[in-house]
Amino acid sequence: MSSTANTSARPQGDPPREWHRFRFPESLYRWGGVMLALLFLSYSFVYLNIPLDRFLGMFGRIGQVIADRYYPPDIEYVTEPDYLASVVDTIQMAYLGALFGMLMAIPLGWFGSYNMTPSRGFVYPVARLLTMAARAVHETIWAILFVTILGFGMLAGVLALTMFCTGFAGKLFAEEIEAIDMGPVEAIRATGASELNVMAYGVFPQVRVAFTGIGIYTWDVAFRAATVVGFFGAGGMGWYLKRNVLQIETERVAAILLSIIVLVLISEGVSAWARSRVARAK
Amino acid sequence: MPILSVRDLRVRYSSSGPEILKGISFDVEEDDFFAIIGPSGAGKSTLIRCINRLVTPTDGEIILYGTDVLSLNARHLRRLRRDIGMIFQEFNLVNRMSVMDNVLSGRLGYMGNFAGLFRLFSKKDISRALSVLDRVGLSDHVDKRADELSGGQRQRVGIARALMQDPKLLLLDEPTSSLDPKISREVMALIMEIAAEYGVPVLCNIHDVQLAMEFCNKIIGLQDGIKMFDGPTTKMNKKKLDEIYAMEVL
Amino acid sequence: MAVADATIRNVDRIIAARAKTRTIRALIYMVVLLLVVWSVKTTIVDDTDWERMGSVGNVLHGVVQFLGIDWGLVPNLWQPAVETIMVATLGTLLGVMMCVPAIWFGALNITPYPPITYPIARLMMTLSRSIHEIVWALFFVAAVGLGALAGVLAIAVRSIGFIAKMTAEAIEDLDPKPVEAIRAVGGSDFQVFVYAILPQILPVMIGVIIFEWEINIRRSSVLGLVGAGGLGLVFFRQLNTFNHPGVTTVILAILVLILFGEVVSYYVRKAII
Repeated sequence: MSSTANTSARPQGDPPREWHRFRFPESLYRWGGVMLALLFLSYSFVYLNIPLDRFLGMFGRIGQVIADRYYPPDIEYVTEPDYLASVVDTIQMAYLGALFGMLMAIPLGWFGSYNMTPSRGFVYPVARLLTMAARAVHETIWAILFVTILGFGMLAGVLALTMFCTGFAGKLFAEEIEAIDMGPVEAIRATGASELNVMAYGVFPQVRVAFTGIGIYTWDVAFRAATVVGFFGAGGMGWYLKRNVLQIETERVAAILLSIIVLVLISEGVSAWARSRVARAK
Repeated sequence: MPILSVRDLRVRYSSSGPEILKGISFDVEEDDFFAIIGPSGAGKSTLIRCINRLVTPTDGEIILYGTDVLSLNARHLRRLRRDIGMIFQEFNLVNRMSVMDNVLSGRLGYMGNFAGLFRLFSKKDISRALSVLDRVGLSDHVDKRADELSGGQRQRVGIARALMQDPKLLLLDEPTSSLDPKISREVMALIMEIAAEYGVPVLCNIHDVQLAMEFCNKIIGLQDGIKMFDGPTTKMNKKKLDEIYAMEVL
Repeated sequence: MAVADATIRNVDRIIAARAKTRTIRALIYMVVLLLVVWSVKTTIVDDTDWERMGSVGNVLHGVVQFLGIDWGLVPNLWQPAVETIMVATLGTLLGVMMCVPAIWFGALNITPYPPITYPIARLMMTLSRSIHEIVWALFFVAAVGLGALAGVLAIAVRSIGFIAKMTAEAIEDLDPKPVEAIRAVGGSDFQVFVYAILPQILPVMIGVIIFEWEINIRRSSVLGLVGAGGLGLVFFRQLNTFNHPGVTTVILAILVLILFGEVVSYYVRKAII
């Protein structure tokens, strides 16, 4: 055992080592976990009463439904001025929601980042909790709540999107701040600057590019959400969707869905382009 | 009468963690260029960060120009920090800001929230920044971004930023560890000249014993949070150095 | 005093330049601000029925009625909560199965015929990600009728984009050395896949799937609003019967569910990766 020089060969006298792919109790936990997951999944099928026969014949059915009812889309409907005005409304709602959301998300991101928060014991958990709550509640639920309290219209929509974007951007901002180099922060602090100026000089220049990218991304996500908040009465094109779904004007619904897809694709393209520009401008 | 006296300083980062500094005491006089040497992990950086309270000690006493550093509230702590210039190993410049703005940020301790936020630096500050940049030999690089400079130039920006504070004490945290030997010597020489010009005492963390012997008049040697040597550079010898660095694995 | 003159000129130049930068910035902010004010005016102020909303007191009253918890509702929440989790899980799983072709076509280094198959995959991913889950759910409710199946399908289709995109990127970043190594010991294509490619992408994929599952809980909690079962349906019923504390209770239940999802995903991630 004292021979340490000979590392290339197994020291003499050791019992021959064995190797098993499966070792007790680890293998039991592992396969037990997998079995449990499978059991849960198959039980889900039964519990949710999912008709497997319908499931298998579904693709043909979907094709037929589309051909029968949704084709051809009523393109004229989505080129009417009223509808186009609602598109402009939707775009405005999205950017206002993203903007207000980010204005709220900046302090939340600051207070909710572990390295820069003014107080780890109190402010940090509160900011984290607020961000999480804003994020966890789905944007449609926010929309419904604001519609109930404030009435139909875009005010409710903008507020719902604001809440959604606050949660979305707040989390990303906090993560970005947690990833900065603390060196400059320390240096600015050492000059005797106030905490606000430490943020402005030590932190902000480091996260500016990332924040811009997140901002564009937030707008993009907000626009997707803005297309549906109207479904619950919060303004924008979603309301047209709702009306035509209820009236079973399927060809119009198809046209509206198409217009949403096209607009979202455009917005995604613009956002991807803008983000790559920002990333290159580092 | 020492301008800085440290008594029985103890630091623990968490209540269950190891003690980083185990009761350090020393005095810095008015015209000292004071070196702290020791192997990495000895607590040099922690010690120097206690002086302007970037690290809060668990126990002990620090008196700087008659002020009890450890009892200051947030506002007075900012006052204290603006009187202490600090130069860092990794320069700690704000890379995406211009050299000018980096140097001007040394004045932040004298400014309010609003003026700082909108970069409303006074004409006096700007002309001071220009002459300081002139002094460290960077007058051609004023409008460049900090990350366009070489290592030696960046450290000169760091020196300029510290000088902007009009410091009464300079703290150097391994100012040459990120530089090559030739540049290191130049930077140390520059700091020494400037310290003499401005009449500022210097407290310096340094890994390179050669440089410490060359530039500093007093040395304390740390090993694992304990002071092993305290005295003028002339008293330092090979045997004592071996003692201090005994635990370092090369 | 030539030097001093030069310094003074420099100072003036720098001050002028800084003032100019500040002015331009201020102007940009002003323009943005004006745009925002105009948008606020046209969208919010003009569109809102201020009469109906009434005073601040009315609005506050509207908020206050939501405060409180309807404890009587809690026992009735178990079943829909379980349903929500199940829809999210099945949806994620189905999404994983459906994204196999998108991954295959969408990774540049393995796509069979890049000029055609690659754009197809990209289009699939973008379509999946860009259409809101509510819209997908509406579509599937129309196609397969009300019920959990529509929800599962909506979740599955909505999940394809993100899982496929991340996995395809992981395949594109594959380290080729293990592939060579398995080839060198005489492995077949299938063996190369199992021993060299799968071990590299599996951690990424599992991470992405767990992440998506967490998001899908949030999504499936609202699909009931358009007839796909789960907590969303309960929410809708409470709202329509004006049981406002009940609405708050359902929202809190959703929060708990999402917290549960975060905890589970934390432990699963730790156990697997």
